[in-house]
Amino acid sequence: MPHSNFSPARIWTLATATVTQLMRMKILAFLGVFSVIVVAASFASPLLNPEQQLKQLKDVSFGALQIFSVVIAIVATALLLPRDLEDRTLYTILSKPVPRYEYLLGKLLGVLLLIGGGLILMDAAFSVVLWLREKLLLAQMVQSLNAQRPEDLAQIEAYVAKQGLTWNLHLGVLAIFLKAAVVSALALMVSCFASSTLFTVVITKCVVIIGHGQTLMREFFLNGKMTAWVEQALSALLAILTPDLAVFDIVENVIQGEVVTWGAVQIMLGTSAMYVVGYCVVSHLLFVEKEL
Amino acid sequence: MKRKLQALLVLLILGGLKLPVEQAATRYLREAKLLSPPLDMSVRDSIGQMGFAASLGGLRSLVASITYLQAYTAWTNVDWAKVDAYFTLTTSLQPRYERYWDEASWHMAYNAASNYRNNPKLNAAVREKLYADHIQRGVDILKKGLHLLPNSALLWKTLGETYERRSREPKLAADAYMEVYRITQRLHYARLAAYQYAITEDPSLWRKAYDLLKDSYDKNQRPPSLLSTIKELEEKLKIPLPSRIPDVTKP
Repeated sequence: MPHSNFSPARIWTLATATVTQLMRMKILAFLGVFSVIVVAASFASPLLNPEQQLKQLKDVSFGALQIFSVVIAIVATALLLPRDLEDRTLYTILSKPVPRYEYLLGKLLGVLLLIGGGLILMDAAFSVVLWLREKLLLAQMVQSLNAQRPEDLAQIEAYVAKQGLTWNLHLGVLAIFLKAAVVSALALMVSCFASSTLFTVVITKCVVIIGHGQTLMREFFLNGKMTAWVEQALSALLAILTPDLAVFDIVENVIQGEVVTWGAVQIMLGTSAMYVVGYCVVSHLLFVEKEL
Repeated sequence: MKRKLQALLVLLILGGLKLPVEQAATRYLREAKLLSPPLDMSVRDSIGQMGFAASLGGLRSLVASITYLQAYTAWTNVDWAKVDAYFTLTTSLQPRYERYWDEASWHMAYNAASNYRNNPKLNAAVREKLYADHIQRGVDILKKGLHLLPNSALLWKTLGETYERRSREPKLAADAYMEVYRITQRLHYARLAAYQYAITEDPSLWRKAYDLLKDSYDKNQRPPSLLSTIKELEEKLKIPLPSRIPDVTKP
């Protein structure tokens, strides 16, 4: 069988092996913790009104989803190359006719599969809890207000449903995944020139924090609000070198019931693809020269 | 070394290309109300560095929920200064969530104001001063919220109620109810506005009240308070007899 320069099958094999490797690291223990958090949050603050209770549940759940995805994206990706070097798996793989870029793509895809799978599971768990809580609150309100007329029931239902389960919330989860994809690609790029796992984790985390405040810096730079050339140069450099992760921060407004338009989904997909492809190219250029 | 320079070049080119793309994306998402305006840097001092980093890290909603719960705890401890401070934070973190503005105003204009007014440890002058100050604070919170959410029927309604029931300013209450009517087109709010216009000292506003109530009457919405108010206004405005509504027959 002739050897091809690019093989999706090889990338897929590497990706599934990466998922197995990460699962062995008990990385999905977070899922259990998440479930406990969601159930606890759903019964916290019983004194708040129903709308607030559902919002509270969504805030906590989405917060946990974001923390899970970003932490796994940074830590799991940062661990991959050093772990493969330590286990000598890297030498075994690269001694075969596997191009280095395929190895990197396989690793990144593996992390994204793990994060995506985790988010789907957590989204399902959260949706079930939110739906149950919504029904429970609705029943409680109908009973406490002694509502019997169809128009009263419809009004109560609309009031509770406003903060209940909608398809829109799943698009919020998609935004979280896309942000995690960018962070994973970024962590992969950093790990290609990093000297240690800790260095990768710290640098990536710093870039992630800067990336969330990047809108401010970019606007200062583009609108010429800074006068000192040092400030301008610094803000320009940070704006150029860090990704704008705030583009994916639609979650808080999705929680409030804002509708995610198809245009917004396209923007997030496009932005995410731009970063992932760009960082993968840079990762490859760095990894090709890396002495193993 | 050559590859590293290439990598840096790719990174710089990507950075240069992405700036206008990001700017356009941010503008689009803000217009679609999917992105909030950037966080006010003054919030940083109030929520501490950890909270600020978390809110900057895409967790604004979660941090707002936490500060809201802290406000709730402060309320149970009857600590009005803390309630106000935490709600200020909460509304700064999530300015588009109208319920936070509504509740913050309610705590100040109703709970805090009444609590001070009924505090026997304070002398009468101080009690009344604090009462008035906290009602005004509630009004100010609503006005700030309305500056950001000018089409929030909930906030206009609460403002109308606050003017009507707390500071007893009927014209301002009526104007606020008229805004609710503008947004919802529900005649109920036009009537609420009319009842407030009717109790002012301004005859031009009585006329406005009469027109609003007559409109409701002509559309067959005739609750008892509407009928009695129209009757009063007919007297005040000296409406010609043929134009008056029939007398209300008492059962």
